[in-house]
Amino acid sequence: MLARVANNLFWMGRYVERSEHLAKFLSVNYFSSLDAPDELSQSREFVLRSVMYMSANEIIEADVTLQEEAVLFNVGLNLEKPYSIVNTFINAHENARSARDLISTELFECVNRINHNIKAYPIETFVKSGLYEFTTLVSQSSSEIRSKIKTTLLHDEVHAIIMLGVHLERAIQVARIINSKLSDVAAAKEIYGDTNDGSYHWATLLKCVSVYDMQRRSYKKTPARKSTLEFLILNEECPRSIKNSLNEIYKYICIISKNREIKHDSAAFLIGKIKADFEYKLITDIDNNLEGFISDLISKLILIAEKLEDNYFNISDAIAVNEDDVKVDEKPEKQTQTQK
Amino acid sequence: MKKPTTLPLFSTYELDSRFYDELFKKNKELREVYKTLYNLFGSYSVTEFNRLNKQAKDSFFNLGITFQVYGEKEVKEQIFPFDLFPRIINNKEWTTIEKGVLQRSKALNHFLWDVYHDQKIIKQGIVPKELITSSVNFLPEMVGLNPPGKIYNHISGTDLIKHSDGKYYVLEDNIRCPSGVSYVVGNRNAVKHALFGVFNQYNAHTVVDYGARLLETMESVKPKGVDAPVCVIITPGVYNSAYYEHSFLAKQMGVILVEGRDLFVENGFVYMRTIYGPEKVDVIYRRVDDLFIDPLVFKKDSLLGVPGLFSVYQKGNVTLVNAPGTGVADDKAVYTYMPQIIKYYLDEEPILNNVHTYHCSRKDELKYVLENIDKLVVKPVDESGGYGISIGSKLTKEEIKKVQKTIIAEPRKYIAQPIMSLSTHPTYIDENESFESRHVDLRTFTLLGKDTDFVLKGGLTRVALKKGNLVVNSSQGGGSKDTWVLKK
Repeated sequence: MLARVANNLFWMGRYVERSEHLAKFLSVNYFSSLDAPDELSQSREFVLRSVMYMSANEIIEADVTLQEEAVLFNVGLNLEKPYSIVNTFINAHENARSARDLISTELFECVNRINHNIKAYPIETFVKSGLYEFTTLVSQSSSEIRSKIKTTLLHDEVHAIIMLGVHLERAIQVARIINSKLSDVAAAKEIYGDTNDGSYHWATLLKCVSVYDMQRRSYKKTPARKSTLEFLILNEECPRSIKNSLNEIYKYICIISKNREIKHDSAAFLIGKIKADFEYKLITDIDNNLEGFISDLISKLILIAEKLEDNYFNISDAIAVNEDDVKVDEKPEKQTQTQK
Repeated sequence: MKKPTTLPLFSTYELDSRFYDELFKKNKELREVYKTLYNLFGSYSVTEFNRLNKQAKDSFFNLGITFQVYGEKEVKEQIFPFDLFPRIINNKEWTTIEKGVLQRSKALNHFLWDVYHDQKIIKQGIVPKELITSSVNFLPEMVGLNPPGKIYNHISGTDLIKHSDGKYYVLEDNIRCPSGVSYVVGNRNAVKHALFGVFNQYNAHTVVDYGARLLETMESVKPKGVDAPVCVIITPGVYNSAYYEHSFLAKQMGVILVEGRDLFVENGFVYMRTIYGPEKVDVIYRRVDDLFIDPLVFKKDSLLGVPGLFSVYQKGNVTLVNAPGTGVADDKAVYTYMPQIIKYYLDEEPILNNVHTYHCSRKDELKYVLENIDKLVVKPVDESGGYGISIGSKLTKEEIKKVQKTIIAEPRKYIAQPIMSLSTHPTYIDENESFESRHVDLRTFTLLGKDTDFVLKGGLTRVALKKGNLVVNSSQGGGSKDTWVLKK
């Protein structure tokens, strides 16, 4: 497989996964807040700031008042904003196009059709009444694409590279969502003190990652801080937990690296090391410094991406449609060379 | 203009006696081969047909069988216009076409070998020396080079028309990077899905075997000493209008689709950059024009090619499909010598007709052209895609004067042909919700390999969607149709 195309496949997986998390976070936070238990959580300003932090990685200045329709438009359908869901999907599509000879007709048809549908969604409808419909469309679309990835591709390096992208992005997004919610809980605690147990925020966090039902089944109790974070970070049976994602990342890097020698500075080595570290970790080990743990984890996950690029996708002048993991930049310039 | 008795979808179908209509005879009788098709189409209501038509177009859109239009703000994807009413060619007619296009491809291959070696055909006075020396597509770098299997034009696209006399004429031979074969398959799939009830009434040849035969052809011309050749296709990239076709062919053959930046040259071989490091490449089907393939030899600022590729080709360590320099033979001035070229190399009479052509480089013919532009089609010899064509009957006096000046400035650059009466074929016109007659041509696809050849039993019927228009190229607003070659 070409290094350039591997990069495209990896980013296709990442963008497909990212679009689902963005959509889910937007939808769950917005709709949960409508009947939230306290004034802060009900506040539009509070929700919109949380959404901007998660989507655009932007901390909005305290004296700025956010306009609801503008935020929804920017996060959902604004083609000018690199972090918007529509642009995330366009990037997934562009990367799929660059690798369309390697992926199945069914998978490309699915990505292509969904890309048309998302791009064609009417902006007016979205900001006035279509938030739920649009975000549901994006979530379902991501699931449909993942299903095509699973069932219409040979489970070889092509599949492994895409899934590596999916799971790395999942781990990063879940970590970022946890980070965002820890910040919301801290803000609520500042106002309401210990009278607020945060259960609303923990439930919202679980719903944002689509694991609320699973967690309830597992703990049979109202979500609390410890049980929520333990489930999301360390439960390997939960398909969206960070530990599960790391296990999957490890599985796929083994397929890609085959029986080749694993150098100490390689992506495979780093993945193995982080996975081993998670193997015997308890929530009590990290609970006293969760913010620090999550921040360190995100850095490590980004380092994995960088090492993968060095080890497998490195062609000096290759340009993939991608962006920095945390800092959201402009899309790189595309090659528009054509011939007669 | 007379209206034949028609079914609802054909209520505005008009026959023009100046042209050969593929559906109706001059006496308004249906041609035998179309009877079943016509009656089945006629059984659709307009609403029903519009639904099928929309479904077919949506499927092209969803499958990404599209090209991109770059606007100021956004990129729009469009499908190539497609018509659901297929063109049918009976077995007898096809046999002649197949033999004819193969004969031309073989003759052109011999011609190319000769042009880049001994030039016997020039020495013996069959074709003038200027034909070669004045061609911008002649590549001196190819002189004396021996491509594997002695094949230059592995892939040829031959454009044919059916004239008012009911005979096929060759309009052009395309042996650089002929495109369109992916639409042959795309059109067939769309027709089968939308009109399965119609399709199964006919016994038409399949068109899906092209990819397998192309791979066979590529493997047959592998470099010496290579056992299992690694074949790739090189594309200018996702922004090229034919990118869909490049990815389609790569997928059909199961080979890798590369861009110039994926390849590099080292120690006299070409390698691609894979996730596990360099992998040697043996045969490259290049969809990048001659001048862009190697910036060290040709266009210096090309970003699409591979530095050093041509030197590897010269050493015989990689095969390029088609060979560089084939453009010298699909020059429209060379076209006029095709009967002589076929006779000289194959000792055969041409099976397919050539359209009579006037060389503006010849004084007496130039005089005739300048005096009769209104009756002629003037074409630049080295352009493709329908660019630069002037159809005399459509020009104003002012425009004729302008064309005359252009020809006088560079007579070698132009040829002229009588305005040929391209046959007409029923084509669904959305705004009128009815079939109307539109001009069509046919592009066939021929493969030549070492000891192997193949003509795709189908081809791309291209249709000029504007009423009365004779230019069918997609770049000029043309569409396409599925083409059924009958087994019996």
